[in-house]
Amino acid sequence: MTFILMILTFIVMYYYMAINKEEEYHIRTMPAMTAIPEAVGRAAEMGKPVFWTPGIAGPLSDSTQGPQTLAAISILEYVTEECAKAGVELAAYCPLSDAIPLVEETMRTAYLRQGKPEEFNVEQIVFIEGQSAYLSGTLGYFQRARPASNILMGGFYYEAVVIGEAGNTIGAMQIGGTNNTHQMPFLVATCDYMLLAEELFAAGAAISRNRDMLGSIKGEDIMKLLLVALTGVGFLLGAAGITVIADILGW
Amino acid sequence: MSQILKREVVYAITGIVTILMLVEYFFFPESQTWAEMIRTWGIIIYNISLGLGAVRLSMAHSMSVQRRRENWQYSAVLLVALVVMTLTGLAGYFTTGLQTSNVIYNWLFVNVYTPLGATLYPITGFYIFSAAYRAFRARNVDAALMLIAGCFVILSNAPAGEAIWVGFATIGEWFRFTGQVPGMRTFALVGTLGMIAYGFRALLGKERGFYAGGGEE
Repeated sequence: MTFILMILTFIVMYYYMAINKEEEYHIRTMPAMTAIPEAVGRAAEMGKPVFWTPGIAGPLSDSTQGPQTLAAISILEYVTEECAKAGVELAAYCPLSDAIPLVEETMRTAYLRQGKPEEFNVEQIVFIEGQSAYLSGTLGYFQRARPASNILMGGFYYEAVVIGEAGNTIGAMQIGGTNNTHQMPFLVATCDYMLLAEELFAAGAAISRNRDMLGSIKGEDIMKLLLVALTGVGFLLGAAGITVIADILGW
Repeated sequence: MSQILKREVVYAITGIVTILMLVEYFFFPESQTWAEMIRTWGIIIYNISLGLGAVRLSMAHSMSVQRRRENWQYSAVLLVALVVMTLTGLAGYFTTGLQTSNVIYNWLFVNVYTPLGATLYPITGFYIFSAAYRAFRARNVDAALMLIAGCFVILSNAPAGEAIWVGFATIGEWFRFTGQVPGMRTFALVGTLGMIAYGFRALLGKERGFYAGGGEE
């Protein structure tokens, strides 16, 4: 398994370094990311705020859930810039105390980059500790402010269905994204656009159009193809009673 | 200089620590003392970040009280609660080594915090039930498929389902195991691949979004 992991890591590394030599490189468009300017534009037209939350599942100390929060903060940077450009209010509800300094600095820098540092207000960031309190606070905010668009990206537990459906009730345009398989169905059911699994991690790289970052996505896609092939071969061999691949991988 | 300290040094430390952790994971069969030490540093730094979050929160709410902004009273309650819980917790810790030994701290936790939390949970609990019910509607093809699968799973779990038709149990079981597991594993697999690639970009300082914003200011 370690050997496979090493190979996969080297594949990403290879494409990361090799992409600069290529003439043109395209990756598929992610509808959820192209919908963000649309969501901000909608909020500008309606004169309502945009809402962003990373969910409660991903404290940064958690090695499996934490990266989702970091990816969500990368997307927050883009959302904040779009809001700053359009002059739209952005409310960031972050229930993770360890992520608060990152969220604040990310938003501050995004406003600064758009030449509007004075428009950043630290009260845009709301921290509510505890899942139930965070949910109650969010639902209350939805009823009071009725945001035009909701960006729900990060690690979610049961708040996915609650916030998603509350957003539907107020008629908000919703863009979701999570790597938590148990919450994907709820976000799919309640959101207009969705980033599934690895798309959440690739989104920041995709919108940046940075060639190095695109290279790592290409490497990731090659990894996926290899694993699909490995799974297919393993399935056929397994059906024939040969368990060599399963034995090697320890599955 | 400040930019170098704020960004480049952070990227360098992230990169070096990640490489050391990868080396330990891939090339040493047992946990190494130096890696344990780095992990301990990580825990300490993480706790400092928690403290930093508390400080930033206090500053924001102090400002709110000071300027009498809208709903400043809530900020005042937060600040008072923060100070009281911190002081009583520390008092308990310094006297017996356990913060819960302080009577005031314990009373506030058991009689204020816990009941408030317990009150909020059922409220949102009922909301989950109604939200799940409303979310399960055929808005599009994906949602319709989920709705159909959900119906079968509910009918397989509810005693009434099997009383209506014994086949519901079989179909529901199929959805719960044969139908669901490959899909979930696929997402788990590609999600992990995405995390590897993301970690690689972060390691090289390319994924800068969470380093307090991407490119240059």
